[in-house]
Amino acid sequence: MLKLDKESHIGYISSLDSKRDDYEYWLSEHLRLNGVYWGLTALCVLGAKDTFDRTKIIEFVQSCWDSKAGGFGAFPGHDAHVLTTLSGIQILAIYDALDVLTETPTDEHTKDRKTQCVEFFRSNQLPDGSFQGDRFGEVDTRFVYAALNGLSILGKLTPDVVDPAVEFIQQCYNFDGGFGLCPGAESHAAMALTCLAALAIVNKLGVLSSEQIEDIGWWLCERQVPEGGLNGRPSKHPDVCYSWWVSSSLAIIGKLDWINFDKLRQFILQSQDLKKGGISDRPDNEVDVFHTCFGVTGLSLLGKDDLVEIDPVYCMPASVTQSFKKYPY
Amino acid sequence: MHGIKRRELTQELLRKKRARDAEKITTYRTLTERVLTSKARGYYTPDELEITTRLLELNPEFNAVWNYRRDAILTLKEQLRSDFWVNELKFTTRQLQAYPKVYWIWNHRLWCLNEYPGSPIERWQLELALVNKLLSMDARNFHSWHYRKIVVKRLEQMSRKNLNQQELDYTTEKINANISNFSAWHQRASLLPKMFAMGQIPDEKSFINRELQYIINAMFTDAEDQSVWYYIKWFVRSDCIVSKLNTEEYKNLLQQIKNGILLINEDEKDFSGKENMWCLKLLCVLETIQIAQLKLDIVPKRSEYLDKLIKFDPLRQNRYRYLAQRP
Repeated sequence: MLKLDKESHIGYISSLDSKRDDYEYWLSEHLRLNGVYWGLTALCVLGAKDTFDRTKIIEFVQSCWDSKAGGFGAFPGHDAHVLTTLSGIQILAIYDALDVLTETPTDEHTKDRKTQCVEFFRSNQLPDGSFQGDRFGEVDTRFVYAALNGLSILGKLTPDVVDPAVEFIQQCYNFDGGFGLCPGAESHAAMALTCLAALAIVNKLGVLSSEQIEDIGWWLCERQVPEGGLNGRPSKHPDVCYSWWVSSSLAIIGKLDWINFDKLRQFILQSQDLKKGGISDRPDNEVDVFHTCFGVTGLSLLGKDDLVEIDPVYCMPASVTQSFKKYPY
Repeated sequence: MHGIKRRELTQELLRKKRARDAEKITTYRTLTERVLTSKARGYYTPDELEITTRLLELNPEFNAVWNYRRDAILTLKEQLRSDFWVNELKFTTRQLQAYPKVYWIWNHRLWCLNEYPGSPIERWQLELALVNKLLSMDARNFHSWHYRKIVVKRLEQMSRKNLNQQELDYTTEKINANISNFSAWHQRASLLPKMFAMGQIPDEKSFINRELQYIINAMFTDAEDQSVWYYIKWFVRSDCIVSKLNTEEYKNLLQQIKNGILLINEDEKDFSGKENMWCLKLLCVLETIQIAQLKLDIVPKRSEYLDKLIKFDPLRQNRYRYLAQRP
């Protein structure tokens, strides 16, 4: 009988920063801040929040500040992006350290970092309500979710941002019950989560009709394949990260029980590396912190393995998100 | 990491990997430091541009380096050699061939085309040829499909010619090559409402009839695959189809599909002793339209189908229980 090997996963996550002899460590520098968020979230869910050194992590987050753009990059000297700015804010929120953003500014800017983050998100919204990831114009519902998520954590959502964003998300809904990365793009499970969670954050799930909700639930539950895992699109292989994208989407629309918990749990547990710790995309593949995070958060959502409760909308511990101001304010 | 097999290295192999890695790490860190330093100083030269090529070849996901590269190109624009843009596109073609799922490369490619001197229509036509090649390597790559739509839209704007028919033909070609290419079915279902609305379907009723035969054929070809079932579910409920038919014609269309499904399901039962789950799911959808919407006086079988689904598709049994409780 497979069990979740919490100790070895905690060990794996805490060892990640000591792998500097591996080329892969350096090749993933552009994801470091996201990686810290995934690692920290997994640790929280595993009940081991104190594994990382809080002070050092907060210092690291601050060192990723891109003063030119006014947001967080993935690593010191990298460029701010909507996704990494969200990761920075999420880490600070988990550590109850958002006040570092409002400390007296130390650089040439007169505005504090919280104000700059809000402006960064807002300035990346385009006239059609969508968001670009940075000044180079890539548009994706991932960025809509990230921006609304970040603004929500900072308590700075406003109707002029929310209303056009909601309209944009509605256009990303497809006939099959899924959502695409932009209007007309093929449905993809990760985009179901970005769209549904974005709507949930701004309290606008009501724009979806009950018929749509049923079709969404149908499309999502069809992602479960006979092996028990979930895939991201029809005729694709299952992958542990969809344990999060699909399950959290179903949880948001109140239909999580439309998939089989035991089979999904088995698939996630079979993807553990019981020797070195960590969880991979599917059984017998190489582990990484991304899949470790979404494997354990998926299990938490299923209410299995005595894990700390995760919030399906924010992918952060529920104890953290309950203090966020609920929109409309 | 996706799709990388787990390996357990012996001490010896680990030592060898570390030795190889040490060299790679030195190169990578030296290049990174140089680019990030130049970036912080706003220092742009052709040599620096060349360094970013080397670094992006090692790590195509290094977005800050792509950003720096674009800023460098814009700064150096006037001094670049005449073949610069062609070479830049060749570079991203190589990158896309090697890493067709990296968002940043696609984004850079699009940026290049927009910045390409004059951005001529021929350039965008070549781009469509590139997408065709990439989609022949992986017909489900959603980056390629997404990019294709951007390219087509631009070509339409430049040529003032609508390409819906060409794109519809392309989905037919892709579906004929592989019936379970849902990306192509998706694209087909997004094109048809536009084509109907723009009056691009000359004889609407005969078109609908041909499409009906096409999908009936498809479901007989591969009844195990979800793609065609999703398309059918769209087809029978889509306003662009339904609004073109009178009640009799609509009833007839539903019945033809239903007959096909019942036949497939019977064959499946004869062959494997089991019913086809997607047949049962679609029968529920069809019957709901027939009874709730068209008020047909037929013997309801929905609860029978749902009972079977609960039993034979247990992963989703709670959905079927939910549907069974709902009128």
